[in-house]
Amino acid sequence: MKEGNTTVLFGLYDDEVDLLNAVKKANEAHLDILDVYSPFPVHGLDPLLGLEESRLHIAGFVYGSLGTMTAFGVMTWVFTRDWPIIFGGKPYWSVPAFIPITFELTVLFAAIGMVVTFYTICGLGPGVKAEVLDDRITDDKFCIAYDVSNMASDKISELKSFFSGTGASSVSTKVI
Amino acid sequence: MNQFTFEGKQRTVLLGGMVLGLVCLVLTFFIDPLEGSHHARFWSNLLHNTVFFTGIAFISLFVMCAFTTAYAGWFVGMKRLWEAMSLFLIVGLVLLLIIVAGLWGHLHHLYHWNVEGVSTLGHENYDRIIAGKSGFLNKYWYTFGTIIFVGVWYMFARKIRSLSLQEDTSGTDAYTHFKKIKFWSAFLLPIGAFTSAAMIWQWVMSIDAHWYSTMYAWYSSASWFVSATAFTILMLIYLKGKGYYQNISDEHLHDFGKFLFAFSVFWTYLWFSQYMLIWYSNNGEETIYFRQRLDSYPVLFYGNLVMNFVLPFLILMRNSTKRKHGTLILVSLLTFFGHWWDFFYMIKPGVVINAGGHADHGAGDHSDGHEVLGAAADHGEHASSFMAGYTLPGLLELGIFIGFLSLFIYFVFMKLKEASLVPENDPYMKESVHHHV
Repeated sequence: MKEGNTTVLFGLYDDEVDLLNAVKKANEAHLDILDVYSPFPVHGLDPLLGLEESRLHIAGFVYGSLGTMTAFGVMTWVFTRDWPIIFGGKPYWSVPAFIPITFELTVLFAAIGMVVTFYTICGLGPGVKAEVLDDRITDDKFCIAYDVSNMASDKISELKSFFSGTGASSVSTKVI
Repeated sequence: MNQFTFEGKQRTVLLGGMVLGLVCLVLTFFIDPLEGSHHARFWSNLLHNTVFFTGIAFISLFVMCAFTTAYAGWFVGMKRLWEAMSLFLIVGLVLLLIIVAGLWGHLHHLYHWNVEGVSTLGHENYDRIIAGKSGFLNKYWYTFGTIIFVGVWYMFARKIRSLSLQEDTSGTDAYTHFKKIKFWSAFLLPIGAFTSAAMIWQWVMSIDAHWYSTMYAWYSSASWFVSATAFTILMLIYLKGKGYYQNISDEHLHDFGKFLFAFSVFWTYLWFSQYMLIWYSNNGEETIYFRQRLDSYPVLFYGNLVMNFVLPFLILMRNSTKRKHGTLILVSLLTFFGHWWDFFYMIKPGVVINAGGHADHGAGDHSDGHEVLGAAADHGEHASSFMAGYTLPGLLELGIFIGFLSLFIYFVFMKLKEASLVPENDPYMKESVHHHV
């Protein structure tokens, strides 16, 4: 996210029910919401915002399968080709003994892969400074934000009256 | 529509299914590829289906109690279905009494530990390992456990059902009925957990009397729970199609789908753990159980894994497949049949061994057993000889399955008819209606 070229008008709500009703009204009035922020996932918000199901889990499946194949492949290679050792009288290629490690690597690959993918998509990472509109949207406030960078002043006052009409407890502007 | 009507057409179909099942069950009494086995096909089929459906009844009671104790609200809208299923315990008890009667009358030889003199030192049938277990593996314990434990479960099911029905008519804001249901639910959990483990050891695990597994009770309970969930999903979708349970939405089915997925994986975890521990320790007394199954019953063994793990795991992994009725129905049918198959796999190989095993011990009361001896004593020969009803479920077994399923559904419908489908005065009713995942 590049800084300093988007002017955001945002209203804060005290309750998620107010937020849901406000989003419904915004949809009816065809107001183009930039984003909605909440301290926790709000039930029923995704379909109202028209968000598609995340495709992150597809990536997760791919990473998981990769983990399965890595673990199973490496163990097979090590114990049959590279350094065959007999453990407890079992055959070199002892599939049941490989299963727990295969499972663990599947989980590890899926978990780490999904975290890295998610951070990359969201532009997050070590040293990235996150722009927060208001500190309390990570605590107890629910926020609707509009992009007003290139907006006429009558449109902006329409948005302000939308906020007061839907019960926002405060309305502010911030450049991010 | 909160009042279920048992239509004449449903009644006819279900009665037809029951007749089919009964005819098939009687036929297995006469058509038995395992000769001289004291009608092992008939008795093992009776045991298999009885334990499977009684277990589903028990686990629906157990899970309902667990949910109630955990203050879960989402399932309350369909709670009457589980109440109806749990009351099937009384039918299960009656069916189990037939097997108990067979035990006393020596009508069947499903259990090696019930052979004359098996734990009497110096007797020709003496078996040292079974003698060591005879404190638990005897017909007194079997009878006591079946009657008292299943009886106690049924008493709990009845108590919870009657409190729930009273709540419909005289429920108040004080929620006295709910509090009582919560008390009885919490009371059942420890009792049900320990007694069901003891009974599955008696009913099924003791068929392979030399063998034991500490995973067994968990494993079969997981099997029951997956079957009960699959049955619940199928029933709810069917009843919704009939216009009932309109408050049960895709959100509820999504949660049932998650249970089906999660407990299929849990079942696999136990299935694998049971296998791996025995494989790893490589103790002959224990490995023989899997050796027989892998050598002589590979289709049962691997089919079990494919139907109950691979397919449900891959199909239900996505979010959307847990919400679409088509995929839910497909996986529910698959796992319901799959876990019936799982119990078949647990029971039948041991039954075959026991049928031969008796001849081996030369009990004087059946001299015709000597022909069986040749076939049954050598397990290697079994690998090549296919026996419908033992190696794989035959057509008669499928008929019996349909019969028992019809009986179960018939009973559930009879109980659903008796009361409102929705417990209106349950304190969690509103939460259930507004459930959202």
